[in-house]
Amino acid sequence: MLELVRDTYRYRELIWALASKELKIRYKRSALGFLWALLNPALLMAILTLVFSTISRVMGVRYYSVFLMSMLLPWTFFSQTLSYAVESIVSNGNLIKKVDLPKLVFPVAAMVSNIVNFVLSLIPLVLLIVALRFPLHWTWIYLPIPLLGLTMFALGLGFLVAALNVFYRDVAHIIQILLSAWFYFTPILFSLDFVSPHLRWILRLNPILYVMNGFRLAIYYGLLPTAASVGMSLACGAVALLIGFGVFRRCQNSFVFYV
Amino acid sequence: MSSEKGIRESDVTIRLAEVVQRFRLIRDRPDTLREAFTKMFRRRDEFQVFEALKKVSFQVRSGEVVGIIGRNGSGKSTILKVIAGIYKPTSGLVQTHGRIAAMIELATGFHPELTGRENIAINGMLLGHSKREMREWEPRIIEFAELGDFIDSPVKQYSTGMYMRLAFAVATEVQPDILLVDEILAVGDAPFQAKCMERMRQFTNSGKTIVFVSHDLSSMRNFCPRILLIHNGELIDDGPSDSVIAHYEELVLRPVSVVRS
Repeated sequence: MLELVRDTYRYRELIWALASKELKIRYKRSALGFLWALLNPALLMAILTLVFSTISRVMGVRYYSVFLMSMLLPWTFFSQTLSYAVESIVSNGNLIKKVDLPKLVFPVAAMVSNIVNFVLSLIPLVLLIVALRFPLHWTWIYLPIPLLGLTMFALGLGFLVAALNVFYRDVAHIIQILLSAWFYFTPILFSLDFVSPHLRWILRLNPILYVMNGFRLAIYYGLLPTAASVGMSLACGAVALLIGFGVFRRCQNSFVFYV
Repeated sequence: MSSEKGIRESDVTIRLAEVVQRFRLIRDRPDTLREAFTKMFRRRDEFQVFEALKKVSFQVRSGEVVGIIGRNGSGKSTILKVIAGIYKPTSGLVQTHGRIAAMIELATGFHPELTGRENIAINGMLLGHSKREMREWEPRIIEFAELGDFIDSPVKQYSTGMYMRLAFAVATEVQPDILLVDEILAVGDAPFQAKCMERMRQFTNSGKTIVFVSHDLSSMRNFCPRILLIHNGELIDDGPSDSVIAHYEELVLRPVSVVRS
C-alpha cells in the first residue's frame, strides 16, 4: 500500500499527463471541445428534469432532478472509472512491452481523468440548483469525504478488474453487465424509503450504498451522514483498495507476457 | 528503479549474472473464462516452457559500445528487455547503474492524435523525466529532429521518417547513461543517419554506454568494437567484432553447407 502512495507521488507528472491525454483525446476534433464535459451532464439533466417532472409528483419527491443527480453523477464517475480502468493495462500493452514503468500508473490515470470529469459535471448541477431556486446547502463542503471513499472504492475495483482483464478478456464485458445490474440495485432512481422495510436489508448489503448516501444527503437533503455511515463508506473503500491493489501487485510482473 | 540498487563496483554499468528467462509458450491459451472452465476439467498441458535465455552472464563498462548479434529468435531482444527491466528474469541477477533509455522500438508511446510537442513531453515522462526537464530540452529535440512547423501537428500526419527522427531525438536528448537500441540503424535518410552516428559517438565519448541489436553486420563492425553472439538463448561468443562476426557467419552458413554436401 505504501508502494501505491509512493509510486503515485513519484510518477504524478506522468499520471497527470496520461490523464490529460485521455481527456484531450476524448474531446479532440470536436467543435466544442472541452465544453462537452459540461454540456453532457447539463443536457442529461435537462432531459431527466423534463421526463421525470410528472413522476416526481407521483413519488412525492420534490426537485426530483436534483435528487437524482446527487447520486447519478457520482455513479457515473464510478462506472466510467471502472470502464476505463478495466482496459487500462491491455490498451497500454504497447507501452508495457517497451518501457519499465510501475503498472499502477495506468489505472490511476484512468481514475484521475474521470475525477476531473466528475468535478466539472458538478458545475451544471450547481447551475441547475440555482435555476430551480433549490437551496444550495452548506453541507456541500462535506463532499470531499464521500468523494474520497468513492475514489478508493472505484480505484480498488479498477485495479482488480484491470489485472483480471489481462488474463481473461471477458472481464471487460462482464463488468459492463455487472455495472448495469448494480445501477438498479443501488437506490439511485429511487430512495431506500420506497422499498418495503423487510427488503431493505438486501439493499444494505451493497458496499457502494453508504458512500452514495453521503452524496445525496449532502447535496439534496442538506444533512450530514451519521458517523457509522461515514465509517462504513470509508471502510468499504479501504477494503476494496487493499484487495484490488493486492491482486494487481501480485500479478503485475506477468502483464508483459499477456498484453 | 533498479538503477539505485545497483552495486557501484568500479565502472560496470550493466551486469547480467546467470540470467535465465523462461516464457510459458502457450499453444492454446484460454483467452476466455469459458475456455478456462472447460480446460480445468480436461487437465491437459496447455503450455510448454520455453527458455529464451539460458544462464547468460556478461558485464558492460561505461563508455563501451556493445553489439549483440544472433539469428532471429536467438534471444537478442530478450536481453535488451531484461536490461531495460521490462522482463523480470526467472532467475539470475541483473544490475544496471544509471538512467536507461530503451529504444526497443522507435516511437514507443507516441499517440497519433497528439502533436509532436505533446508527444515529446509524454515520451520524456515515460522515460522518467520531469516536465520541467523536458521543457528545457524541447527546443534541442525539435531542432535535431528537423521537424520545423510540423511539431505542432498531430503525429499521425507525420511521414515515417519524421516519426523516427522525433523518436530518436527524444531518446538521445534526454541524457540517458545507458542507451539500448534495437535495430534502428536504418533511421531516416543518409544525412540523418550520419547525424545519428555522430550523436552516438558523442554519447560514448562522454562515458555513456550503448547496447545495440542489429542484423546489419557492416554497421555493427563499424560501430561496435565488442560484440556478443547469442545462439539459442546462450551466449556463445564475446569479443572483438571481427572475430565474433566471423564466428557468426560460420554459424549461419553451416546448415546450408551441410545441405549442399
